[in-house]
This record gives sequence, C-alpha cells and structure tokens, in this order.
Amino acid sequence: MPHDEEILVRAADLRKSYGEHEAVRGVDFEIRRGEAFGFLGANGAGKSTTMRMIGCVSQPTGGELEVFGRDPHTQGAEIRARLGVVPQDNTLDGMLTVFENLVVYAGYFGIKKKAAKAKAAELLEFVQLSSRAKDQVNELSGGMQRRLAIARSLINEPELVILDEPTTGLDPQARHLVWERLFQLKHRGVSILLTTHYMDEAEQLCDRLVVMDEGRIIASGSPRELIDTHVTKEVVELRFGTAHTTELAELALTLGGIGAQIEALPDKILVYTDDADDTNAALEARDINPTSVLARRATLEDVFLRLTGRALVEDEA
Amino acid sequence: MTTAIADRSAPTPAQAAWRAFNLQLALYKHVWHGTVFTSGLLPVLYMVSIGIGVGAYIDSSAVGGLTYAEFIAPGLVASVAVMMLGNDMVFPVHGGYEDWGGHYLAQRATPLGPVDILNGHLLYAVVFRPFTNCTVVAIVLAFFGVYTNGWWAAFAVVAAALVSAALAPWLHFWASSIKNDSNLNMIFRFAVVPISLFSGVFFPAGEMPGFLQPLVWASPLWHGTELARAATADVAPALPPLAHIAYLAALAVTGWYAARWRIQKRLNF
Repeated sequence: MPHDEEILVRAADLRKSYGEHEAVRGVDFEIRRGEAFGFLGANGAGKSTTMRMIGCVSQPTGGELEVFGRDPHTQGAEIRARLGVVPQDNTLDGMLTVFENLVVYAGYFGIKKKAAKAKAAELLEFVQLSSRAKDQVNELSGGMQRRLAIARSLINEPELVILDEPTTGLDPQARHLVWERLFQLKHRGVSILLTTHYMDEAEQLCDRLVVMDEGRIIASGSPRELIDTHVTKEVVELRFGTAHTTELAELALTLGGIGAQIEALPDKILVYTDDADDTNAALEARDINPTSVLARRATLEDVFLRLTGRALVEDEA
Repeated sequence: MTTAIADRSAPTPAQAAWRAFNLQLALYKHVWHGTVFTSGLLPVLYMVSIGIGVGAYIDSSAVGGLTYAEFIAPGLVASVAVMMLGNDMVFPVHGGYEDWGGHYLAQRATPLGPVDILNGHLLYAVVFRPFTNCTVVAIVLAFFGVYTNGWWAAFAVVAAALVSAALAPWLHFWASSIKNDSNLNMIFRFAVVPISLFSGVFFPAGEMPGFLQPLVWASPLWHGTELARAATADVAPALPPLAHIAYLAALAVTGWYAARWRIQKRLNF
C-alpha cells in the first residue's frame, strides 16, 4: 500500500515487553503532518516507551509501526535523521558552550560547519538565548536549558519534533516560556508529538491526544472531544474542612441524585454537572454545607480521573 | 530564514564514527591545556627524577646495556597512553549514559547508532590521543638524547597507539557495565594502576617474581613497551614483534566486540 505522506506515524497493535512486563499492550494511533499530538498518562502508563519506539531507539516486540512510511527496525537512522528529540533530562553537554552544543549536534546530522553555525544563531534567537551563546550550559537555569534542548531538536529542520515531558521540573514562569515557544513552533507548521502528565499542558498544546493507562490507550480525540464525551460541562468541587478519604467517601453517598456523577477524592468531592447553579441549589436544599465550593468548567484532568478511576469501573459494570 | 542542509540518509559507519568523534574533539578543545602537563611536563619530571636521578645508581648491564634513561623512555611513551585512557575511557564513558550529561543518549537520538557512538569515542582514544599527545611525549624525551635507533624511534608512538587499541575497548566495556559511579574506581585499582606498574616500564619484567609473570604477559602495556623499546633502542623484544602485535590486535578485536555488545545493551531500550 503506498505511503500517505500526510501520515507521519502509524501504529497498529503496537507492543513492547521487557521480560514478563508488558509496558505497551497493543496500541493503535496515527499522527498526521502539521498536528500537535499528545500522549497523556500517569508515570508508568507506557507513553515514554511508545515514544522511544517512535524515536527508533527501542524495538517493538509486537504489532506494526511505521514512521515517515519507513520501518524503524531496518531504517532507524533515516527516520532519526528526520526527527527532532527533546528528552526529559535534556542531555545537553555541560562542558560545552550553548552555541557549541548546537553546532556539535548539527554535525551528527551531517550539517556542514558553516550552515550549522548560521542555523545555531537563528535557533538561539528563536528560543531567546542569543545573549547566552558563549556561556557554558551548566550556567543556565533549568528553563533555559529546556529551551536550548528545544533549539537543539530543531537543528536538522525535523518533520516531527518529539518532546518527552517538556515542562516537568520547571517553575511556572519557565513553563509558560516553553509553552509560548512551542505555540510558535505550531504556528510555523512543525508537527509535534509530546508526552505529558500535566493535563493543562495537553489541553493547551495538543490538537489531538490519546490517554494511556497501564500500557493501553483508553481514549483518544481532541481535548474538547474528550471532555464532551467523557465528562459533563462543569464540575463543582466540595471541600469539608479536614475530612478526607473515608469520611469523604461516606459524605459522597449522601449526595446521590445531585449532578450527573459524584467522585470522592482524598481531599475533596467532585460533582460532575451540566449546570453548577442547579447543583448548588440542590446542595442547599439538602442542607449540605461544605466549607468551600468551587464551580469550574471540566478539564482533561476530570476526563483522566473518570477514565482511570473508580467511576470508569462502575460505568463498565 | 537560513536553511541547514541536513543529510536525510543513513551515514556510512565511517561517517557516523567521524561525527561522533567530533564531540570528543569539541570537548578536547576545552581541556587541551591540561594535557600540556601530561604530555609535556610529566615526561620531563619522570626523566629528571627517575631516568637521570635513579638511573645514576643503576648499572647499565642490569637493563640490557642501555642507560637507565634509554631503558625507561619507550615505556614512558606507551604508559602515557594508558594514563590518558584512564581519563578518556572511564568517567566520560559512564557519564555518556546518564548522570553527567548523557552525551551518548543525545547522540543516540540522531542518525548515529550505538556502534557508531562507540567507534567515535574509540577513534578519539585510540587514534587522536596517542598520535597527538604521545607524539609530544616522544619529542620531549628526544631532547634527553634517549633514542639510539634514529628515526625508528617514531614507531614508539605507533606502539603506544597499539596499547590504546588493545585496552580502550575493554575499559569502555567495563565502564559501560558499571551502574554505580562509586564503583568506577575499581577500574583504576584493578586495571589502570597494575598495568602501569607491572609492565616492565621501569625495570625488566623478567625481574618480577615468577608467580607475577602471567600478569606481565597479559598486560598490553608490557607488549607495547617491548615493541617501543625495540623501536627506540633496537633491543630485541621478548617475543617476535609480530607476536606482540598479534596479542594486542587480539585484545583490540575481542574488546571491541565486548564493548559493542555492552553499548548496544545500554542504548537499545
């Protein structure tokens, strides 16, 4: 079958096992040119393992995988020549300067010195690090190092940029700077694939995403589609002083009939509802008086809770 | 917008090793002045303190009719190669996989494969370092008039490179096999230091107790020193030169396969 140039990655029943442990248990997805695609899941969900297989540094143990229409098993080097990778721990060389990191990395792709230097200067401007070009990497803050790792991933003008947890470990200001640069990349038409366990990050950056849990994809779609499909429009968060887990579970039982669904968490109760005002009125009518009430729109975090938590099991039953 | 022309095809093994080697070269540019001590000053100190100082008490008949300085000079050239491997093939290898930069992991995300990364590092340790730094050592020692075999002495550098070729892949294998960095010092305790001491650099290996002789024969530095001494002083080596070369080559080839197996295990997830 001829390869569709618009599909960058295609996985069918993709699997990866380490001995007895099955890290990825048969996943199917396609990543299209120009989109920002996300793998959302908790630690150990199998998303980084899937990324490694796409990045051709880990061989699948079952199923099919094509990247740029090529076979990662036999054409790994050609595929990696067209990928940009931002690993979670940057893997920058601390002894080299900011500029040297880019130029040396360009050399791995066979980019000539002169072109590499010009490209490095351009990318440092893009990530707002031009003034730090001569500094050693060890002197940069965590956020700056992450931006440099992003610049490095673009040195070969990749067709797909892979980012593994791009803002993990960064302070809020640094996170927003990284997000802003990734938005710019999206606007330039660069295809992005990222893993994250930050729901807000997935919601802001991804056109489409899959939710992974225990090595399986349990939902897929755009952030809006996932919210519309799996949760109500709004969520009311109820807190009851110092009450926690067991007490909250008991309290949740008294809320039956309010909202579309109730979820008791260790520190609060979530009431899923299409109308927060109605829910508040119902609480008052039953003389239930939480110490704090917060009404908000539903987010991907709620989707994740529903899909991976107790509620999903109840629905299936 | 500037366009970088990246090569979208898979590099040949030689191209890939060269690309990986360039990282080591870039790092070397930051530390080369430190190697001036190892290559330039250290041989002078050895020669003055041991070659001339200790040598004044040693009868030339005890060292094959050579002056003591002539006796130790070739071994010094080769032992600097071992000393450099201690710098280049232990901590930088271990750090390549994780803690201190993870440069192997960075290279692995590019068209370079594990074997290319290994070959690039070996190219630096086995070819670049001996043929630059050991050459400087050999030239510095020449000023002490310790070569009696004319230009043949230049082959002492080749002998040093052969020692590096034999030892470097095994050190790479070992450093790649150690997960806890506090255990890396074992490589110095059980390989680098004993090899430097028991290889007939400062005294004829035959003077060692019999039970230690197998250690001497196993040491790549002893074979390299025998070859280097043949080059600088025209002394017949303990074995035919081809036998020494064959032993070093065998170590190099088996070591390369061991290192290749290990780096593939570490970098194929």
